[in-house]
Amino acid sequence: MSLQALAGNRSFLSLLFGALLVLPAFANEYWLFVGNLMLVYIILALGLNILVGFAGQLAFANAAIYGIGAYGTALLQVHQGWSFWAAAPVGAVLAMVIGTLLAFPALRLSGIFLALATLAFAQATQWVLWHWESVTFGAGGFRVPAPNFGWLPVKGDYGVYFLSLAAALVLLLFAWRITRSRIGRAFVAMRDGEIAAQALGIDLLTYKAMAFALSSFYAGIAGALYSGLLGFVSPEGFDLFQMIIQKAMIVVGGLGSVVGSVIGASLLVYLMEILREFKSTQEIVFGCLLVCFMIFQPHGLVVSMKRWLPGWEEPLHLVGRVAADASTRSGSYKGATPTERRAVERA
Amino acid sequence: MSILSVDGVSIAFGGVRALDNVTASFGAGEIVGIIGPNGAGKTTLLNVICGLNRPDSGDIRFADRPIGGMKPNRIAGMGLARTFQRSQLFAGMSVLENMMTGLHLRSRANLFAAALCTGRMREEESELAARAREALDYVGFAGFADRPGNALSFGQRRIVEIARTLISDPKIVLLDEPAVGLSLNRVAELDQLLRRIRDEKGVTLVMIEHVIRLVMGVSDRVVVLNCGQKIAEGRPEEIRKDPAVIEAYLGKLIDAGRAAS
Repeated sequence: MSLQALAGNRSFLSLLFGALLVLPAFANEYWLFVGNLMLVYIILALGLNILVGFAGQLAFANAAIYGIGAYGTALLQVHQGWSFWAAAPVGAVLAMVIGTLLAFPALRLSGIFLALATLAFAQATQWVLWHWESVTFGAGGFRVPAPNFGWLPVKGDYGVYFLSLAAALVLLLFAWRITRSRIGRAFVAMRDGEIAAQALGIDLLTYKAMAFALSSFYAGIAGALYSGLLGFVSPEGFDLFQMIIQKAMIVVGGLGSVVGSVIGASLLVYLMEILREFKSTQEIVFGCLLVCFMIFQPHGLVVSMKRWLPGWEEPLHLVGRVAADASTRSGSYKGATPTERRAVERA
Repeated sequence: MSILSVDGVSIAFGGVRALDNVTASFGAGEIVGIIGPNGAGKTTLLNVICGLNRPDSGDIRFADRPIGGMKPNRIAGMGLARTFQRSQLFAGMSVLENMMTGLHLRSRANLFAAALCTGRMREEESELAARAREALDYVGFAGFADRPGNALSFGQRRIVEIARTLISDPKIVLLDEPAVGLSLNRVAELDQLLRRIRDEKGVTLVMIEHVIRLVMGVSDRVVVLNCGQKIAEGRPEEIRKDPAVIEAYLGKLIDAGRAAS
């Protein structure tokens, strides 16, 4: 086995998921919960990175969509008496449908304006969760029956854990593959230049809708799992701080990198648990972390990994590519005329 | 035979009539130069043709179908490609990935095929990569496949962008100032490349250009715009002599050239 394969990102993912697979054999109830939370956030970060990192849509609705997935799953069980197995897919699809509708404002708005519009949507969702008490039970939240794993050889918490592990693995594989396909290229094209993307025949509405649909489907699944994991949902789990956590994960891990999403999510869940004892410090630390990364390492930890370890290259992710750096340093405009140089500087 | 025709097209931005009743037609397999002073409406004409701007009035027909008001990606799908004044290579992609994105409409893998990584999808991907390398080779950029788009020099980007439009086998390519900022050697190379594209691929090229030597040398016909109106159209040697063109554009340019040298 070459060093490349041994130190590469695939080995990292195998190692991480291998550890998560055997975790239930060693962990107590608390660490099982942390591991499960990690899996839920890996799903969230993967979805959000597709939308923000690949497709370049600066949306702030993911926490709300996550909430819709959780509430959808939980309320169908409580009000309609559905089982978790029926409610979870419906909740995830509901989140996906609502999330996809956000592609319509995204067609007209970009950057900070899209951020504000989606933030308004998120706040409106919060308001509904708080005030539509006859359905959502208001600010206090409500208890959700535990998923029934009667027909499987696992019990209670372990059931939710292994379900989350399977979901995270499948969704990781899908994200990995989709971003390597023509769809991933269409997302990045849209991010790097909408007009040029259109001129190459990429339909902005289709691909924006697809990016929103994918990320909200991921968030919806994560929400469904979270409701099953916690056995309780309340609006504050899906507020602005939740959004900042998710944003911080993809920034710390690496925007536009599938592996970066996994790194960011697992690392920050761990950090969140360490800080849980000092409740109010969580928000400060996460805020600082986000700012520091934005300033000092805007492309996330995955860039450092690429620099120091072989086998961390990803398609459509050029930041920190070693060969790329060399060619830039050797001076792409060496030999260029002054006019060319000026033109490069202008561009 | 005309493949693209613009008939009485007008468009105004606020009070400015950027195009005023412009009529022109472009035949299969010819190179047409569009010249005129800054602000004459040249880029607006291309934008209207490729669907980025909707004309206020007039008809545009491409491949025997009216395309006025159609979305740019649909027009692109009919075989009309274009490059832009400012480089539009995708900075976050390698040159090869840029080229493969140019084949977007020539590939079909959908979300599910991609997620499940079906055999057909894999086959298509390797086919796309092969075609992309071939197209890079055609313009002499085979060695640049793995460079990031933004690590190329300005002139290199232009050529890769032209290759990216050609890869989808378009019927017509609109080029917006392909020679801007190129050194003289590079302009000569571009001249050769454009002729090769016309002769070997039979693609119609419509080119806005200020480098008069290039545009007069390579074009079969030249269209002159001034203040949104077409003031002349004809073979390069006719255009050179046209008093209206000299008055509006060429005369000034030659004077400026003398002043500079």
